[in-house]
Amino acid sequence: MNVLAQADTLPISEPEIWWFALSPLLTLVGGALLLMVVGALTPQWPRGLYAFVSAMIGGAAGVLAIFNWDDISDNGPATLVGGALAFDTFAMWSTIVISGAVVLVSMLADEYIRDTPNDGPEIYALLLVAAAGGIVMASANDLIVLFLGLETLSLAFYVLAASNRRSDASAESGLKYFLLGGFASAFFLYGIALVYGATGSTNIGEMVTSLANRGDSGNDVLALAGIALLLVGLGFKIAAAPFHVWTPDVYQGAPTPITAFMASAGKAAAFGALIRVLISGLPSFRDDWQPIIWVLAVASLVVGSFLAVVQRNVKRMLAYSSVSHAGFILVGVEAAAHTAGEADGGMGISSVQLYLLLYSVIVIGSFGVVALVAREADADLSVFDGLAKRKPLLAGAFTIFLLAQAGVPFTTGFIAKFGVIQAGVDAESYGLAIIAMVTAVIAAFVYLRIMVAMWQKDVEDDAPAITVPVSAAIAIGFAAVFTLVAGLYPSLLIDWSDAITLVR
Amino acid sequence: MSSIWWLLALHLALAAAAPVVARSQGSRVMLFCALAPAATLVWTIVAAVSGGADADAITGVGWVPELGLELTLRVDAFALLWTGIISGVGVAVFVYSASYFEGDPDVGAFATRLTAFAGAMLGIVVADNLLLLYVFWELTSVTSYLLIGTKDKAPEAVAAARRAFVVTAAGGLAMLAGFVAIGVQTSTFSLSALVDNPPSGTTATIAAIAILLGAFTKSAQFPFHGWLPGAMAAPTPASAYLHSATMVKAGVYLIARFAPIFVVAVPVWRPTVLTVGLFTMVFGGWVALRQNDLKILLAYGTVSQLGFLVVLFGVGVPSVTLAAVVMLVAHALFKSSLFLVIGVIDQHAGTRDLRTLTGLARSLRVTCVAAVLAAASMMGLPPLLGFVGKEKALEGFIDTSDGWSSTVLVAVVAGSILTVAYSARFLQGGFGGGDPDPVSRVSRRVRTMGLVAAVGSVAGLLGGLLAAPLRDIFVPAAASLEPSVAGSKVKLWAGFNEALLLSAIATVGGLVVFASTDRLGRLQRQLNVPVSWTTVYDGAVSRLYTVAERTTATVQNGSLPVYLGVIAATTLGVPAGILLVDVALPADAVAAESMLQVAACLLVAGTAIMAAVSGRRFVAALAIGGVGYGVALLFVIQGATDLALTQFLIETLSVVALVLVLRHLPEQFPAVPWKLGRVLQGAVAAVVGVSVVVLTLTAGSSRSTPSASNYYLDRALPDGGGKNVVNVILTDFRALDTLGEIAVLVIAALGVTSLLLVLPGGVPARRLRTGDSILLTRLANAVVPIALVFSAFLLFAGHNAPGGGFVGGLVAGAALTLEYARGGRGALERIVPFDPRLLLGGGLAIAALTGVAGLLGGGEFLESSKLEVDVPVLGTMKATSALPFDVGVFMVVVGLVVTVLARLGSASEPSRATYTERDGNEEPSVVGSPS
Repeated sequence: MNVLAQADTLPISEPEIWWFALSPLLTLVGGALLLMVVGALTPQWPRGLYAFVSAMIGGAAGVLAIFNWDDISDNGPATLVGGALAFDTFAMWSTIVISGAVVLVSMLADEYIRDTPNDGPEIYALLLVAAAGGIVMASANDLIVLFLGLETLSLAFYVLAASNRRSDASAESGLKYFLLGGFASAFFLYGIALVYGATGSTNIGEMVTSLANRGDSGNDVLALAGIALLLVGLGFKIAAAPFHVWTPDVYQGAPTPITAFMASAGKAAAFGALIRVLISGLPSFRDDWQPIIWVLAVASLVVGSFLAVVQRNVKRMLAYSSVSHAGFILVGVEAAAHTAGEADGGMGISSVQLYLLLYSVIVIGSFGVVALVAREADADLSVFDGLAKRKPLLAGAFTIFLLAQAGVPFTTGFIAKFGVIQAGVDAESYGLAIIAMVTAVIAAFVYLRIMVAMWQKDVEDDAPAITVPVSAAIAIGFAAVFTLVAGLYPSLLIDWSDAITLVR
Repeated sequence: MSSIWWLLALHLALAAAAPVVARSQGSRVMLFCALAPAATLVWTIVAAVSGGADADAITGVGWVPELGLELTLRVDAFALLWTGIISGVGVAVFVYSASYFEGDPDVGAFATRLTAFAGAMLGIVVADNLLLLYVFWELTSVTSYLLIGTKDKAPEAVAAARRAFVVTAAGGLAMLAGFVAIGVQTSTFSLSALVDNPPSGTTATIAAIAILLGAFTKSAQFPFHGWLPGAMAAPTPASAYLHSATMVKAGVYLIARFAPIFVVAVPVWRPTVLTVGLFTMVFGGWVALRQNDLKILLAYGTVSQLGFLVVLFGVGVPSVTLAAVVMLVAHALFKSSLFLVIGVIDQHAGTRDLRTLTGLARSLRVTCVAAVLAAASMMGLPPLLGFVGKEKALEGFIDTSDGWSSTVLVAVVAGSILTVAYSARFLQGGFGGGDPDPVSRVSRRVRTMGLVAAVGSVAGLLGGLLAAPLRDIFVPAAASLEPSVAGSKVKLWAGFNEALLLSAIATVGGLVVFASTDRLGRLQRQLNVPVSWTTVYDGAVSRLYTVAERTTATVQNGSLPVYLGVIAATTLGVPAGILLVDVALPADAVAAESMLQVAACLLVAGTAIMAAVSGRRFVAALAIGGVGYGVALLFVIQGATDLALTQFLIETLSVVALVLVLRHLPEQFPAVPWKLGRVLQGAVAAVVGVSVVVLTLTAGSSRSTPSASNYYLDRALPDGGGKNVVNVILTDFRALDTLGEIAVLVIAALGVTSLLLVLPGGVPARRLRTGDSILLTRLANAVVPIALVFSAFLLFAGHNAPGGGFVGGLVAGAALTLEYARGGRGALERIVPFDPRLLLGGGLAIAALTGVAGLLGGGEFLESSKLEVDVPVLGTMKATSALPFDVGVFMVVVGLVVTVLARLGSASEPSRATYTERDGNEEPSVVGSPS
């Protein structure tokens, strides 16, 4: 007698599954399996075909998500698979960001892993699996489902980080990420257990109902401790200070295209999860977790920009700068916290998602350049000396990305930063907005240093030649053009991001 | 499209074309680029002459309407005044530069930067949309950074440029925050709309302060003034342009625009502006007095004058605003002229040190006249425009009978005294001295430059003389800020009044101060605070570097324990804080129920401490096993035999696995070099432990719904056909979970196999001494068969009594481990003479097939069915379909143990080839075993 069969005692109706709504996710998972199985059964594919297939699968998932977006705009949001997944514009936006990251990173990875032991379908399959996990995180309407997504993403990331078998740094990076990530996941799971204890459900909708009806008598310690532990797990994933400690080591050690994927898709997924858990699931406790978000935001802004200044390694600089970007995004989350659970959610969530999209493109472009320039060598700053004289276009693209990261007008970076600051001010978080502004100046030091090295230093004589493969050139070129064009004409993107809502 | 767009585009186009033109034309490129300001000047004059009818027109194009960012321009009379100043001074500076840069190969880059800068500055004063204004504002910061650091290779210029950029860009960001705050509150970013509808309340106050920060940094107000003297590293034409008509004036412009909006709505506006402006005015003048470099002297003079302008525009009194407009024009004229004079002196004499300059009054006559006129205007002497402005300002303050106005008057007069004194010092230093000029010949180039420099001075003189007719320029400009001044007059001579008296006092006082400069110098040295702005700034920056370096060195040192410590400490800092506030321990908590419990706990605690302090890896591994045994003991005491059994076996196998792994590692832990580190680690560990205990107790006391176990206890026998609830849950209620788990177990085992296959050489494993211990051999001979039989018993009895497939498999695994310890891999192969992966795959298959059988029997997947058979002699045998499922679990567990032993047990041991991979890299195997 199986529990599932106890129709008389526990009525369980089979969840209705809406296949087309799940199609982006299924495309990625199916694509990963396809790559693995067909790749294992066939001899080595022609040059670039693995990457091409991977990019196609990512692109297909993104296109399907756009169709679903239209569907949601017409018919309103819903939940899928018995309330396990949310089907709303928020989820689809994250899906598009993550799928887009798959496309760009596949193009960067192609040449990078050519002629290495990894020149096969595995890396791409792992990318697709990680992307699927990320989408589940950002779409989860149930904490357990969210955890499944988190682990799917994380396990793939651990392997990807360690995937350069010729490099000790890569192995160390993977191992560190794995061990610390394991702890973070454990904290997160513990948090789920405590929140479940407090609310009697892991489903986000039911949690909200249960908490709204809890009255004054209940003891909130369980829920509060649970929230704190959930925040640790999520803080680790978004790389917010002080849970960022792994970021510099892992970003530096991991193969550079993988780093690009972590900084883009990984962040998008983790912030998606953070918003699902806090804004959707725990609005009743917003007065309790909002100060924590505030502190995390300030710590990330300060740590990310101050510590980046003394780095000598460009990958580490970008790692720290990703921490400070996490701080900026948290400014948007903090703004959204003010109105969490209310009908008019303010502009926080839209600003966060827009930031994630724009930043993903910028950061993939940045690491794409680093991958080409510091292919074999350690990405020491001196490697970039005089890049403008050797590869002017590459230096130009990198300059665009760095200016965008600094938030200079006419780039998407400005639009992104402006959005979260505007949201913060709208929610009357003046202090946070000003701290963010001030740290942005300090962070600008770092970008300035790289630019000075590229444009004003002389080339070292023994510098290895830089070759720019076509696929990477297309990816970087696209990212640069997008950063400029969307920085000049962001209206369309802003309109779309304003349509982002969470299922209630 | 307004024509102003074409002017902006012209700046951009000329800036882009400049390097190309410079290649063939050399420094004449500056004349080419002068077309941009010249066109602007013509346009301004035409617009002014044709009357202000369409000058107020706002032309808007949506750019990013979602952000409120619109390309909206507004050219009112005040803006027109500014475009006139910017372009007029611009033309002079560009023409001057053509001579100044003669023969300089980098002139192309300079021309590009200066033209782009002029365009950006133009943008600031015509922008109506605040965000557009911000964009232009930051563009001036960037281009001025490039202008100051134009001698790319000179480190001091680069450092000065960076300081200027950081300070002004930071201020700009603060200003943006202020704009956003306003925009959010009033839902408009239009300057002209704000004037009609000023914001108020807290938001407005914060916005006003943020905007003032932007203005103060840009206008070099105390305490942000320090970047300006440093910026004197720029080529003199750039200094002349940046510090007379543009850049620093942008801050003044901002204050002028916002004063009417904020002066009433924000009570702190006026005191802040007055305090900062007046202090800066006096401070700048005081510091200027002791400078010996003419350019630096003038830089501090500029700081002082900017303070004065900030006061005049910021105070928000209509008549003073009119004075401010006059003063603005006067300052632009005399200050640009004076800077250009310095360029002449520098190029002629090769120095700017007023102690060595001599005889220039005779050799540079035109320049000298220009300097005297300009300096007189700066002092506020009649009949120059500076006098008109200052008189008007004093009058305005005298007429304002508020409490603060007398204080302001005193400060303004004090500032004026200093202004007169340093102006006199400038003239005396630059052109005084009886000795003849050592440079005998004045080059044609320097002569041209001197003539250009004189233009501004003469304009200042004409402006003063023609003050009354020029009211048609000044009054409308002021009126577009303060409509009430529309009917006012501007006069050179307003008769003998208090203002004139004050001016006279200032002039005489200033000359007295100048005469006693030497005595003052002593006082200044005594008063001199031994810190300069630059040292404070540089100190802050280097402190930033040190702190960042130290922090990264300690926290970000790549050590996992440190990282984990940071995460754990933070984690517990947060919930521990919550819990301490609101902790609720269970009311019926009992410390201990028996001494046995206490003993078990002591065992756990003792072995845990041992694991932590031990320096040897083996000892630590064994101690961790001890902790597990202690916990298992507690399970026994509480009556959870099944759990205890599992725990014992798991611990045993874990220790074995650990020991096998540890053979590859050095015997000792690496020493912790940092003594304090161990203490900190201990502290973090202790806090973590205590917090988890508190959390567990709290969680236990927070139960609000009945325990789930009752349900299972009730339903185990009727639904699952077994009395051992744990086993029934594993094989029936949650059989699907178990199936998933053993699948994971299989994958893990296969993963271990393939991972260890690629294990690099590294530390050679210490060999286990197998087969030479008689005691171990005897023990194994006796125990292994019994244990194997017992494991089978556990497997079959498990559904009703303690046991089950999992526990059975663990017991069998323990027996195999013992056998392995006795005889090595060979002995293992005699018991399991086939590839252990068969066990793994077979077990998984059997478990899955059981489920399918349930499906075929018409039920659900994994639904259990019962079978009762009467067997003679033995009686009735009952069996459920849980049994084969359990067998599958059993096989998987045994398979896992054998796999791990075979793999971890190092390749160097003798064995048959049973476990060797096809593609393995192991040594040739030896048939048979040594025992």
